[in-house]
Amino acid sequence: MNPKFYSRRDFVRATGMGMGSIGLQSLLAGDRSLNPLSPGKTHFDAKAKRVIHIFANGGPSQVDSFDYKPALKKYNGKEMPGDQLRTERKTGTLMDSSFEFKQRGESGIWASDLFPRVAEMVDDLCVINSMHANVPNHEPSLMLMNTGAERVNLVRPSLGSWVTYGLGTENENLPGFVSLCPGGVPIVETQNWRSAFLPGAYQGTHVDTKKNSISSLIPNLKNSRLRPYQQRNQLDLVQAMNAADDVGDPQMNARIHSLELAYRMQIEASDAFDVTREPENVRELYGKTLHGDQMLIARRLVERGVRFVQVWHGAGQPWDSHENIAKNHGRLANEADQPIAALLHDLKMRGLLEDTLVIWGGEFGRTPTVELPTPGANSPNTALGRDHNHHGFTMWMAGGGVKGGFQYGKTDEFGFKAVENPVHVHDLHATILHLLGFDHENLTYRYAGRDFRLTDVHGEVIKDLIA
Amino acid sequence: MRLLLLPFLFSTVGILSSAESFPPEQIAFFETEIRPVLVDNCLKCHTGAKARVGLQLDHRDGWLKGSDYRKVINPHNAAESVILHAVRQNGKEKTPKMPEKGDKLNPEAIEALQKWIAMGLPWPINEKRDESTDPRKHWSFQPVNPPELPENAGHPIDYFIRTKLEEKGIAPAPRAGRYDLHRRLSFDLVGLPPTFEETEEFINNPEPHQKIWPALIDKFLASPQYGERWARHWMDIARYSDTKGYEAGGRERKFIFSHTYRDWLIRSFNEDLPFDQFLLYQLAAEQLVDWKGADREHLAALGFISLSKNGKQELVIDDRIDTTFRGMMGLTVSCARCHDHKFDPVSTKEYYSLYGIFRNSLATDQPLIAEPPNTPEYKAYLGEIAKLEKKRTDYLTPLLARVLKENPKLKGNEAGLISKLPREEQKKARELQEDVKKFIAKKEMEPDKALIVKDHGKPSAQHVYIRGNPSRRGELVKASFPKLGSPSEPEPFKQGSGRLEMAKEIASAKNPLTARVIVNRVWMWHFGEGIVRTVSDFGLQGEHPSHPELLDWLAGWFVQNGWSVKKLHRLILTSETWQQSSSHPEVETTFPLDPENRLLWRSFRHRLDFEQMRDAMLAASGELDTTLYGRSVKILEPPYSRRRSVYAFIDRQNLSSVFRHFDFSNPQESTGQRPDTTIPMQALFTMNSDFAMKRAENLIATSGTNEDLITALHRKVFAKEPSEKDKILADSFLKSFHSGDKSARQNLSGWSYGWGGVDKQSGEVSFHLYQHWDAKKNDWRINKEYPVPDSPKRYLHTGNSSMHPGLGEEYSNIFRWHSPKEMKIDISGEVTRPAVGKGRSGMVMHIVSSKNGILLTKKLPVNEKTIPVELGGIDVAPDEIISFVTDCDGDTSFDTYSWDPTVSNAGNPEERWKYSVDFSGPVTPLDAPAAYAHALLNTNRFLFIQ
Repeated sequence: MNPKFYSRRDFVRATGMGMGSIGLQSLLAGDRSLNPLSPGKTHFDAKAKRVIHIFANGGPSQVDSFDYKPALKKYNGKEMPGDQLRTERKTGTLMDSSFEFKQRGESGIWASDLFPRVAEMVDDLCVINSMHANVPNHEPSLMLMNTGAERVNLVRPSLGSWVTYGLGTENENLPGFVSLCPGGVPIVETQNWRSAFLPGAYQGTHVDTKKNSISSLIPNLKNSRLRPYQQRNQLDLVQAMNAADDVGDPQMNARIHSLELAYRMQIEASDAFDVTREPENVRELYGKTLHGDQMLIARRLVERGVRFVQVWHGAGQPWDSHENIAKNHGRLANEADQPIAALLHDLKMRGLLEDTLVIWGGEFGRTPTVELPTPGANSPNTALGRDHNHHGFTMWMAGGGVKGGFQYGKTDEFGFKAVENPVHVHDLHATILHLLGFDHENLTYRYAGRDFRLTDVHGEVIKDLIA
Repeated sequence: MRLLLLPFLFSTVGILSSAESFPPEQIAFFETEIRPVLVDNCLKCHTGAKARVGLQLDHRDGWLKGSDYRKVINPHNAAESVILHAVRQNGKEKTPKMPEKGDKLNPEAIEALQKWIAMGLPWPINEKRDESTDPRKHWSFQPVNPPELPENAGHPIDYFIRTKLEEKGIAPAPRAGRYDLHRRLSFDLVGLPPTFEETEEFINNPEPHQKIWPALIDKFLASPQYGERWARHWMDIARYSDTKGYEAGGRERKFIFSHTYRDWLIRSFNEDLPFDQFLLYQLAAEQLVDWKGADREHLAALGFISLSKNGKQELVIDDRIDTTFRGMMGLTVSCARCHDHKFDPVSTKEYYSLYGIFRNSLATDQPLIAEPPNTPEYKAYLGEIAKLEKKRTDYLTPLLARVLKENPKLKGNEAGLISKLPREEQKKARELQEDVKKFIAKKEMEPDKALIVKDHGKPSAQHVYIRGNPSRRGELVKASFPKLGSPSEPEPFKQGSGRLEMAKEIASAKNPLTARVIVNRVWMWHFGEGIVRTVSDFGLQGEHPSHPELLDWLAGWFVQNGWSVKKLHRLILTSETWQQSSSHPEVETTFPLDPENRLLWRSFRHRLDFEQMRDAMLAASGELDTTLYGRSVKILEPPYSRRRSVYAFIDRQNLSSVFRHFDFSNPQESTGQRPDTTIPMQALFTMNSDFAMKRAENLIATSGTNEDLITALHRKVFAKEPSEKDKILADSFLKSFHSGDKSARQNLSGWSYGWGGVDKQSGEVSFHLYQHWDAKKNDWRINKEYPVPDSPKRYLHTGNSSMHPGLGEEYSNIFRWHSPKEMKIDISGEVTRPAVGKGRSGMVMHIVSSKNGILLTKKLPVNEKTIPVELGGIDVAPDEIISFVTDCDGDTSFDTYSWDPTVSNAGNPEERWKYSVDFSGPVTPLDAPAAYAHALLNTNRFLFIQ
């Protein structure tokens, strides 16, 4: 079934006048016209009910993390044999990883010490080593990963918006799609979580997790001039007047309902973002850091029924280690490792991992070759950095119906290009939607004379990834 | 297997034509010998829009058309068809080996294919589209054919609407009451509510309705605010924005002169510029007006083209084609950028015929459409710009001189020379240029200029970009107009880019779409739904009109009446159909007959849109700034502008979520109809925004009895007297509203911040409120001057997570919590003093109750960092105060500390007050009258039009 969004008008047409408010609550609960965020119907039974997308924006290196290439040791400092692949900047000889690889868990998947704690949980991960995208530049690759259409300024809804459009939310007191990003926004900015031509209700709500005042997280979440009980009295007055004016109009009744939702959202959203409500041992599990707290917020949100949470590493493109990758990746992974591992562990303990799909990765990976200095483009001191690489990179998923301790696809001997079972970003999107219960070809929205979908005319579900 | 049924493609190949019927034995041959081969070997890749290299083998026309690169069959010599080379895998004519995956076809199959091609590709005729979906016969591509009205038809609109209602046996709703009609008309035409006085005057006018109603319409149409409301409708179509979209590297995004387009729209609507002129100017004003003459203001109309989003050329052009054709003709030609339109008769060739027009229409120097001011400020401004430009010149001159020596050919070509500089220097040059742009954008002092485009060069042929990819060039096409199913080939355009000729084709009375599309839009903006509900898609995928005769009659009438939009308003608004009530007396029996209200048996109710809502709040409080025209203003940031919402600064890239939550049009693309949702974020804006509360406060002007207040507010907010029920509700709200103790200056969660000391015997706290809030540092202080010189109060202050005591017990830092009710509480938290071991002493903390004195005293020694300060099971009474006191313990050095206590209700741990979460600066609570006024702004009565 196609969970087509019906407009309010359709609803008015379908139910019309004169039905009074009898059955209104049940109508509101199920009807997406009056309430675009009410739960939607999937095409088939879903493995995953919600998503946490951890975005290592800037492009984390696969050959330093989850794509083990012993050949790099052998060829360290030597020209890469075979054809040179084009990336953003000039690169030179192959460069070995500074991080030590080991086989981990029962699955024996190789992972480096870059993410030591995440690596320990490799038996829960479904590692895709053969990701590939289209171009080696941040903006288009972010657009591709987030909206399935790489052209910047092309109007396409984001993955989170599509998922929220398809599934609605399980908790109307919170936004359905939240994007956590500390310290500002990534490049291409709010376009990363835009709903484009889908209604505004499906747009990602950006929360700057570096701000510590909860009222600044969501616009107008808090009333700065009325005490809670005063506001309740005021709302009671409003609703009494609304009841007196009732003519059985569905949209007017929907507004009565949404006033109550808004009232509750003030309290519930504040709670959801307040990590100090967690027991001390949980906070310590995540590490009481910016990234720990933000990952804990992500868990608190999905636990409360938020459908899609994106967790960005930071504003701009933090993982973009053109220089000194050992130091820079080391620092970034150190910030992210414990929180990510804690998230997986915590979700598992709570039985949430089963139907929560966790996705980790960047918009692309990095070259196995060392970046060369280019006057004016990068620092003359590019010592031991790596350039962007869209030809082959690694992402992993966990929970939500994917195989654990599973490795899929391969890059070439050096980790440059996906050569075996390549997975394009469109395929990843198709697979994600499949796990959520949607046929990616049929989750569509009619706009400007045609049916749009996340994967446009592309994408194949990678069935091998599904448990 | 069912094959995809694709529509006609109007291409013919040699002797083969696309619409042929074949003898049954040939069809049988196809079904038995050919179709199974195709299904098994070809169609996985060569089907539909996704077909590899654009070669669709799932229908006969696909075979005839061939791939994106070449024909695949040779009608004269079947054996030499490219496709046969491919399956023979002989490599002739550089053919790939097919099928790519799987086994080579067996010789019998190849022979059958050859035979089939030689037969002329017999294919069952019934797999073609049926006649009703033949694009050439599609209703909207037929000439407008206005029906004759019978004599005594009465109002033409009512005639058409009621005829259909009668057929269904439905009686229309009666005319709405005068209050509702007046309010509806006012919001509809000027986007603002009428005042109480205006409403009363209309309601009590003894003259007959037929006389006063047209007069009221004319009054609103004559108001300059009419143009502001209706310009905004067209701005949705024109994807209006004040910024270009995403620009990397911090480059300036503002258009600077976007407002001149908006202002031109407002003027055009107010002056009732004939709609065909209106369209012509927006597409080609620079070729129609005297640049130095009185009509130069029309140059601003080209903002329609210029205010597109930025990005790669092909996307900019696509945006311009899409906005033009979807906006003006309800045609979705953009699909044809990559492939022939799947549904509508627009081919890729036709798309690129238009593409060439826009590619040859380039932005150019912006001509002045206003006189530069002769003021000292403006002169100073010009001086500043000159300085910035000189800075750039000074930097570049020596560098360019150097490069010129090496590249003497580039003499006079500054851009060329700059491109030869080393990257660092190029970057610096760019930055210096950007500084000028940013300065201009920031100052907003430039006299108005028009954002125009100009034809560039002679008409030139344009390559088709295969699959929309500019690096894959197909055949050359000339600038011309899509023929929309007409059998004759279009004449190529001859003048310049062809843009003016294209504009004339669009704004022509002969164009079957243009007039239909605009009368349908105007209809929708009046009623809420169009006669064709897919207002921007009149193609085969669009909906059919509910009243086709009416639509054609209106389109014909509109053109006959000089394309006058104001006359069209009058016609629609004087109909009884528009004036119907939104309630119907026999709704139970009527509703099932037409649940969608397609036949208009009653009027639609509407929630105010974002602009109507915001403007209505300002109008109610009497604060609306009715200044016309000018640069856009940020309306969601303090100090909240009081200008109308049509002047809101629209940031295409990062449009505030508040706009989006209210279904504001998407400035990325032409929007025909906004979504209409109801979500809690909308309620949060009316409930909590400072904007709404400020309006509420400013609604309170009179002092007097509650009764006076209630009446005054209802007149301002609803233009109506309060009912008896309203008065009872209001009275009880105003009497019971508890404003709290203002003198204690608690914040909304019950905390107050100050300093003082504790009497150790009595446990009494002497407490002085901090008098100064430092908004920058986010903390409370004794006064502006900090540190206070030569005083024990020197470093006293308290912030969210960092605080400091004064010197001596009587100068302790104190924050207090006021209990709202009787309950048992727990207090948790810890004190941290980061400077472990530094200073001469640690600190002493007390928790003190206003009823029971000191509850707890704790000492944090100098060489310890943290100490828990916790208490459990304390009974508190309403208005009891708990003070959290920190004494420096004799010495204040290194006594910066943090104490973040949480008070929680032991009976309900979810109910809690946490210092750092609740921390706030000064609050000015709404008093009872303002809270009441604020409530009125939140009612459905205020936010809905009946």
